[in-house]
Amino acid sequence: MIRVEGLTKVFRRPRTFSGPFGALRTLVTRQHVEKTAVDDVSFEIHEGEVIGYLGPNGAGKSTTIKILTGILTPTSGTVEVNGLVPWRDRSVNARNVGVVFGQRSQLWWDLPLIESLRLVGALYDVPAPRFERSLKKLRDLLGLDEFLDTPVRQLSLGQRMRGDLAAAVLYEPPLLYLDEPTVGLDVVAKEAVREFIVETNGAGRTTVILTTHDLADVEALCKRIILIDHGKVLFDGAIDALVNEPRRLVVTLESEPEEVRGVPRDAEGRYVFEIHDDLPGMIASIAAEHTIRDLSVEEPDLESVIKGIYTR
Amino acid sequence: MAEVFRSLRLYVLLQRASARGALQYRLNTVIGILSGAIWQGTGFAFIWVVMHTFPSLAGWGLAEIAFLYGLRLTAHALAMIPLMSVNDIQWVVRNGEFDRFLLRPLNPLVQLMGNRMGIAQFGDLLVGVTLLAVAGQNAQISWNAWLIAFCFVAIIGGALIEAAFFLALCSLALRMIDTFALRVFVDDVFSKFGSYPMKIFGGVTEWLLTFVLPVAFVAYIPASVVLGKLDTPLALAAPLLGVVLVALAYLVWRRQLDHYQSVGH
Repeated sequence: MIRVEGLTKVFRRPRTFSGPFGALRTLVTRQHVEKTAVDDVSFEIHEGEVIGYLGPNGAGKSTTIKILTGILTPTSGTVEVNGLVPWRDRSVNARNVGVVFGQRSQLWWDLPLIESLRLVGALYDVPAPRFERSLKKLRDLLGLDEFLDTPVRQLSLGQRMRGDLAAAVLYEPPLLYLDEPTVGLDVVAKEAVREFIVETNGAGRTTVILTTHDLADVEALCKRIILIDHGKVLFDGAIDALVNEPRRLVVTLESEPEEVRGVPRDAEGRYVFEIHDDLPGMIASIAAEHTIRDLSVEEPDLESVIKGIYTR
Repeated sequence: MAEVFRSLRLYVLLQRASARGALQYRLNTVIGILSGAIWQGTGFAFIWVVMHTFPSLAGWGLAEIAFLYGLRLTAHALAMIPLMSVNDIQWVVRNGEFDRFLLRPLNPLVQLMGNRMGIAQFGDLLVGVTLLAVAGQNAQISWNAWLIAFCFVAIIGGALIEAAFFLALCSLALRMIDTFALRVFVDDVFSKFGSYPMKIFGGVTEWLLTFVLPVAFVAYIPASVVLGKLDTPLALAAPLLGVVLVALAYLVWRRQLDHYQSVGH
């Protein structure tokens, strides 16, 4: 469904100077600063997948999404979405994709939500019967009824997000881009958004690309993640493969020797053992040689694994 | 062609929506229209005062200048009522709102135009049409169907000329070049120089305002034809210029759109 190959985007802007006459020098300079936001990224996404597209702030996530949706033209590389080049066939591509930017509403600020939805329906040429059917489904699914007639500017963040989600899927696009759809939401609202994504993805009909900083979203929704940082892909694969590390036994000892059973003392004075099979036996054999002050078992989790990859 | 009709239909839909949004702020709307009318009214009042002392400017009487002024103002209003929200372009680009226009299956320019309705410009239209109606009766014009038709075409041509310069300058904002001050200047040249008989400026200025920034073609040349002061077949082509310039301006817009960089990364 989506094929990205060697995608690179370089932003170029005039160099800014500071110090005396800085503003003037900035104005007349011919020097440019280049920033490579996306650097030779390749991946493929298949129909019906829910992909977590992750990375720290400034990693190049939003730039990738903006290229895939046709907002930006890349510096080099090829992209094919449903057989279309998004920035060239912008208008045709637009009909195939729904987009939600969590940070920014796409609804009409001064109009009641229902009018925004009707305008979206008109822009995408949704025939009236299909519109009504779609709207009814979304009213139930997202609980829109209580604020359907409220101007968007008066909606709470959670309500606004539900409105934005409704606007993005009203015309039933086969592909959905969600850029931080849970940012700033409370626990209940986040849960509602996740349920909506699961429901929309349904029997693998809608492909979803999700960027988020909330890894609970990813664990709940995605089987596969693509991790990027500094514009480069660091990991692309199943979450299971990533979090497939053994549990760990963390021990602190009274005597604090340089090493215990081949494991050196770490900076915090702890000894970290990988647990492979016999945990009680392991603890017993350590306890036989040393006096244990504290002991805990750590499960591998996505957050620490990803933190490990970012800081690598 | 079907796409043109679809765009037009959706533009009307968007514009109606933005009007509904704007009309919630009723006082704003009233103040907007009034201030537009008063602003343009004082402009003409100034001419009136001047004409009180000098009964004729370069051979033009008060009614004739009023006709010229009305023609210019009506064309200006017709250009700006649909394009007013294009004036917001640098803010729309800066706060990332422009992104959403690129995500929808409708020409982004049409969406930008439908974003907000020019309200003060209805005040301009009110004053412009009033001046045209009153001056059209008081100036020595032998009206016939052909002349009335020419008037309509001339107004639209004039509106297109103004619209073309406005659009071309606005489109530079897509590359983060702020042309707001330049636009105010150009608008000022159109209104300050376009509303008087060109002849009073004379020489270089007249030449510049005819061939560089074709202010003369907006109202001065068409008004001269209607008032029987100018009789060359070339003058009748003045309205055509608007069509050509708007087409060029749209090409500039398309070109700038390719350089759009969005905000944030």
